[in-house]
Amino acid sequence: MSKPSDLVQGTLDLLILKTIAAEAMHGWGIAQRIRQVSGEVLQVNQGALYPALHRLEQNGWIRAKWGESDNNRRARYYSLTPAGRKYLEREEANWRRLSTAIGLVLEKV
Amino acid sequence: MRWIYKFPLRIRSLFRKKRVEEDLNEELRFHLEKLIEQNIASGMTPKEARYAALREFGGMEQLKEECRDTWGVRMISELGQDLRYGLRQLRRNPGFTTVAVLTLALGIGANTAIFSLIDAVMLRSLPVNDPSHLVVLNWSARNQMRGTINSSSFGDCNESLTDANSSGCSFPYPFFQLLHAEKGLFSGIAAFAGPAQLVLGGNGPAKMASGEIVSGDYFSTLGVKAAVGRTLGPGDDDPSAAPAVVLSYAFWQSAFGGDRSAVGRTILLNSVPFTIAGVAEQSFTNLAPGKTQDFWLTIAIAPRLNINWVSRGQSFRDWWLVILGRLKPGVTLQKAQAATALTFRNEMLHGSEPVWKASDNPGIELVPAQQGLTGLRGFFSAPLYVLMFVVGLILLIVCANVAGLLLSRAAGRQTEMAVRLAVGAGRRRIVRQLLTESVLLSLAGGALGVLFAYWGVRLIVSLVSASMLGSFPFVVVPDWRVLVFIVSICIFTGIVFGLAPAFRSARLILTPALKGSSGMFWLGGKRAGGLIHLGKSLVVVQVVLSVVVLIGAGLLVRTLRNLREVNPGFDTQNLLLFGIDPTLENYKPAQVQNFYRELQERLAAMPGVTSASYSFPALLSGSLVITGYHLDGQPDKKSVPADRLTIGTDFLSTMHIPLIGGRAFTDEDFQQAAEAASAEETAHKAAQSKTPGLGGAISPAVASPVSALVNHAFALKYFPGQNPLGMRLLEPINPDMSGKTAPQIVPRRSWVIVGIVGDTKYSNLRRAIHPTVYVPITGGGARFELRTAGNPIALIPAVRHAVELINKNLPLFRVQTQSQVIDGLLVPERVIARVSSLFGLLALLLACIGLYGLLSYETARRRPEIGIRMALGAEKNEILRMVIGQGLKLALIGVGIGLAGSFALTRFLSSLLYGVKPTDLITFIAVSLILIAVALVACYVPARRAAKVDPMVALRYE
Repeated sequence: MSKPSDLVQGTLDLLILKTIAAEAMHGWGIAQRIRQVSGEVLQVNQGALYPALHRLEQNGWIRAKWGESDNNRRARYYSLTPAGRKYLEREEANWRRLSTAIGLVLEKV
Repeated sequence: MRWIYKFPLRIRSLFRKKRVEEDLNEELRFHLEKLIEQNIASGMTPKEARYAALREFGGMEQLKEECRDTWGVRMISELGQDLRYGLRQLRRNPGFTTVAVLTLALGIGANTAIFSLIDAVMLRSLPVNDPSHLVVLNWSARNQMRGTINSSSFGDCNESLTDANSSGCSFPYPFFQLLHAEKGLFSGIAAFAGPAQLVLGGNGPAKMASGEIVSGDYFSTLGVKAAVGRTLGPGDDDPSAAPAVVLSYAFWQSAFGGDRSAVGRTILLNSVPFTIAGVAEQSFTNLAPGKTQDFWLTIAIAPRLNINWVSRGQSFRDWWLVILGRLKPGVTLQKAQAATALTFRNEMLHGSEPVWKASDNPGIELVPAQQGLTGLRGFFSAPLYVLMFVVGLILLIVCANVAGLLLSRAAGRQTEMAVRLAVGAGRRRIVRQLLTESVLLSLAGGALGVLFAYWGVRLIVSLVSASMLGSFPFVVVPDWRVLVFIVSICIFTGIVFGLAPAFRSARLILTPALKGSSGMFWLGGKRAGGLIHLGKSLVVVQVVLSVVVLIGAGLLVRTLRNLREVNPGFDTQNLLLFGIDPTLENYKPAQVQNFYRELQERLAAMPGVTSASYSFPALLSGSLVITGYHLDGQPDKKSVPADRLTIGTDFLSTMHIPLIGGRAFTDEDFQQAAEAASAEETAHKAAQSKTPGLGGAISPAVASPVSALVNHAFALKYFPGQNPLGMRLLEPINPDMSGKTAPQIVPRRSWVIVGIVGDTKYSNLRRAIHPTVYVPITGGGARFELRTAGNPIALIPAVRHAVELINKNLPLFRVQTQSQVIDGLLVPERVIARVSSLFGLLALLLACIGLYGLLSYETARRRPEIGIRMALGAEKNEILRMVIGQGLKLALIGVGIGLAGSFALTRFLSSLLYGVKPTDLITFIAVSLILIAVALVACYVPARRAAKVDPMVALRYE
């Protein structure tokens, strides 16, 4: 798998949370969405995706429900819990601050 | 709020594991199918698409495992696995499991038993409301009290009456009143003393019962309520109040059958009618550990009962009350202590009757009642701590022993461990699994051990009760402390003995272990050497510890033997003792004399009785009276201490105490003593009726001398090289505070020595023989001694009858044979000697099993080598010698270290020893020899087996 997808753990969590913020999605969908939105730059490794989803679920940030997918297949849909939504806001703010800071360093030094 | 989501998930993954697994499978399958679809869409054949998808997924199982990891219950589910696996392992090796569990049960059981006793005797909290705020007052000073002080104490706390440092917890009544008036410090303050032995009448035949004398707010200060009726209150503590008692719950049950109508009934105490006001709640048994009483009565009423230490109890010179206070909320111990100490110091230095000088620095310490009220704790604490140490050592031996067993089993499981490691088990995981197994073992041992502990406690308690002629004064019931102790000791034990074998197994080298054909030869080399080395160390440890335990036990057994063989100076066989006190029934001194004479004559005339006498106290009864004497021809202020025993007619001949010189007491001597006593009383009364100003006018006079006997030690020490016969002894003069001689209001007592008798032990067997003076008894309570022809016990009913013929209201107390009394004195010694020798044997047995096990395993491992040796011409004897030599070497190393360890440790026993040094050579040598002899036996069996090896079979084996 290509390098960019070996994301720092926190980053993958952030991407997952952001992706399902608007609507509930299954694992496959989340991987596809991240790839599309990032313009094929970020490839999510299946080997990392599911452990991350399960960890977020166990932490109470997201919850899972079985639902119908296309062709009447059952799929596990993940959505944010209220706590997860707050967590996402906090992490997003952190990320922005961090990337701005790194950007500043890169520009000025 | 996240737990709302988290908690159900944990529960689900723990208990609905199958369902959760299915979910995971389905979720991943869905993803895989999507991936395959995508691959097909991009033009692959279905087969290629599937392969590509699986490749992209990586290891499917690994992925699942990573997901499972996040469920957070892995530890628990693995623990379940380990437990199941461990149980299976234990079931599969019933022999190993039985031996290990039994060994552990013995170790854990012994520890639990001793700890339960320690818990009952030392740790149980006071049975009162909120004991943490209750304090007991202790006084201390750099000198003894000056002047004539009557001090009584009843074993509620530790006291010391040496010159340099005096301390105690008895106080005068007026001081209690002073504190009572101070309102700022205590929310309640109470005093108590006793119990007093009283004659209980009005409830069946008269008998002795014990009553604690307490202040009116005793119950309210302690926060103790009544089970029936009411408790005593301030209203009862008034000289004009109607006499009332509150019964203890146990006494209510035993004497009144728990009858609720007992409350309100009238009973007689020393012939004074008392109303039963109520029964104290069941949990309130006593304050000082081990002390008991049957009922409580108030201080103000107590003088009516004619108890000598109460009736004189109203001055600053009479110290007899223990004072308890409950600190007010917000008042610290330090603040209360400072204020109380100031009051005390003022009164003691500048009060109406000063007791100390400023340089004596009298002070008060407030001690939490839990620690301060020691009671009988001291009597049992030293033996119990020694036993706790011993059982601690036993537990270590057990750990070493089971560790040895596990180690040899671990050798057999090397292949299993190697396979586990090879298929990817982490070493930590293996250690954890093995520790789970060993903790499982020790829990099983602990469960069985609780049963052993139950028996052990019953055994020790019955051992104590049998010799104390009464029940063990503590209640041994498991409480949370014991429970916590058992559980922690099991886990501790499991980890201690499991750790070494577990780490050994986890550090296995795989290749040879997997190849290992029989599990024998591959053990050669450094690693296996380590395993054996560890086994050897464990055996040495066991030998060392058992040497220490055995030497300790040996010293204690020799102590008991020495004490039993002590010659007390009189004949202890066929001697019946009982106590009687006619003064409780208001006999006047002259009547007492007549009563004793009459009873003595009747008893002496009884069939089966050789002779009878009486004295106060009895010899070897634990009681002791010491007085000062001024010797003839010595300076006025000098006095010497001597033990004093008051005796009645025929005492020497009854006790078989030899007369060395002079003569025994005659009837005239007793007559003369009685006259002197009544003259002294008359003088007392005359002095009291005079005005105080006239007191100084009386010149110090000396009463006419009364005959006395002294023992050999007295003659040797105080009249060396002189004939003491005819010498005079005088009551010493007490200098008062100013150092001047106080004016005598009554003539000084004086004695003349008429005879010298053989030395005897006085209060107990341990105390050295001191100079002793025997004087004629003139009144008070007494102990009767009956020399019998046959078994003294058989005479008890006849003796009771003889007393009843004179006065049926006078109960006998402490009816015992002299041998029973001596047994009672030796309770701690006997219990500790028996229990520690039992443990010593156990330690020896365990060490031998350890040695035997190691050698068996060793010889089995070295069978091929032994086969080769024999094939090359080694004799059977050489093999025998080789194996025995190997075992003996370990035993000798262990004995050596053990002797050194004992040498360092046994001095902590010295306070318990008698007639034997802590480094007693005989004990040290005997224990070494026993250990070596037993070790030889343990080595011989495996050595024989090794010598019987058939070289052909052994060599073919590999």
